[in-house]
Amino acid sequence: MGKASPEQERKIIEMITPVFRSVFEDDKLVVNRTLNANMVAEWDSLNHITLVVELEQLTGTQFTSDELASMADVGGLIDCLAGKGVAA
Amino acid sequence: MTDLSAYPHVARVTDVFSTAFPYFKGTIDRQRETFGTNWLEHFEREMTVMFGADWSRFDNAVTGYGRFALDSMKLQKLFDKTRQYVNKTYAEAASEVYQNRTYMFDLYLPGILLSHFLWRHHYMQHLFYVKEFLPRVRAHGGDLFYDVGVGTGFYSKEMLRATPGMRGQGFDLSPFSLEFTGNTLTSFGLRDRYTLNKRDIIKDPVSPPAPFVVSIEVLEHLEDPQSFLNALSRMLAPGGFGLISAALTAPNADHIYLYNEPGDVIEQIEKAGFKVVDFVHDAAYEPRRPTDSVPRNLAVIVTH
Repeated sequence: MGKASPEQERKIIEMITPVFRSVFEDDKLVVNRTLNANMVAEWDSLNHITLVVELEQLTGTQFTSDELASMADVGGLIDCLAGKGVAA
Repeated sequence: MTDLSAYPHVARVTDVFSTAFPYFKGTIDRQRETFGTNWLEHFEREMTVMFGADWSRFDNAVTGYGRFALDSMKLQKLFDKTRQYVNKTYAEAASEVYQNRTYMFDLYLPGILLSHFLWRHHYMQHLFYVKEFLPRVRAHGGDLFYDVGVGTGFYSKEMLRATPGMRGQGFDLSPFSLEFTGNTLTSFGLRDRYTLNKRDIIKDPVSPPAPFVVSIEVLEHLEDPQSFLNALSRMLAPGGFGLISAALTAPNADHIYLYNEPGDVIEQIEKAGFKVVDFVHDAAYEPRRPTDSVPRNLAVIVTH
């Protein structure tokens, strides 16, 4: 899995931010590459799966087991989506 | 937050979670709050015996658990919409899971092993086994049990450890489950009282009947659990005791028979000729919304 280009990263963050804000019920949440569950109190396993499923629906993609396990932070998610051609 | 300085393996679990699966934060504290220090000590003791100071192998097991749990939770989310398991035959599940060495050793078996401690309903099932089933075994005095669908060998190990004169036979169709179980029992110094058998108990019936049978979360893996229960019933001697459990509304990758309610399982158990002595029914967690499904299990003590 390669790293998203800066332009892809910007577009993906713009795309996924509303989903993060909705799932974690925080309209001011700033989504960036380093954001992870240790920084958001509500980001537990159940909300994580909700996030994953909603992002799959939003982007029309499916995450494999390997991909799911690689998403320890938003950076992993962005690179995964970029690798699937999202915001290419 | 729980002080884990005296529990290096449990502390290592939190370290791996924090790095690779940060959304699993709170798992250890939650179990500790639910089950107390005994749980913490039990978890540490078991992991010490099985993994010792082989931290690389332990890290791999915890990572395998993380992947296993994520897969299961994602399937749960999809199950909320369909209320059906993914349509799959036993042969397909076997090919995908039980006969797949990499999947079994990297993900499935470590996942099941750690879930015995990290999932509330699995630890509740273990407590039921220890507090309600094993005393009946000791009081009965028999010295042979059959464990059908051995998984990681967790419950065979508990039986052998609790009753020093006991001998056991484990049956499974997965060579990898049998291998893992052999390793588990070797770690605990129990292997010499146990025989491993790659055998289909329906096609190749087991005799003579034993005073005890154990079958933990096997039924949901089968296309025809009734035939399995009928065969299991013939393996239990009159006056003996069995412990049979099943997963309900738990859409794992290899679950193909859907049980929605405890009564679905109990009806099949009784139809097989067992008498129900006692049972426990638990959920993995509280649903966040009333419409959310939650993995549950049912453990039933039976006799003839």
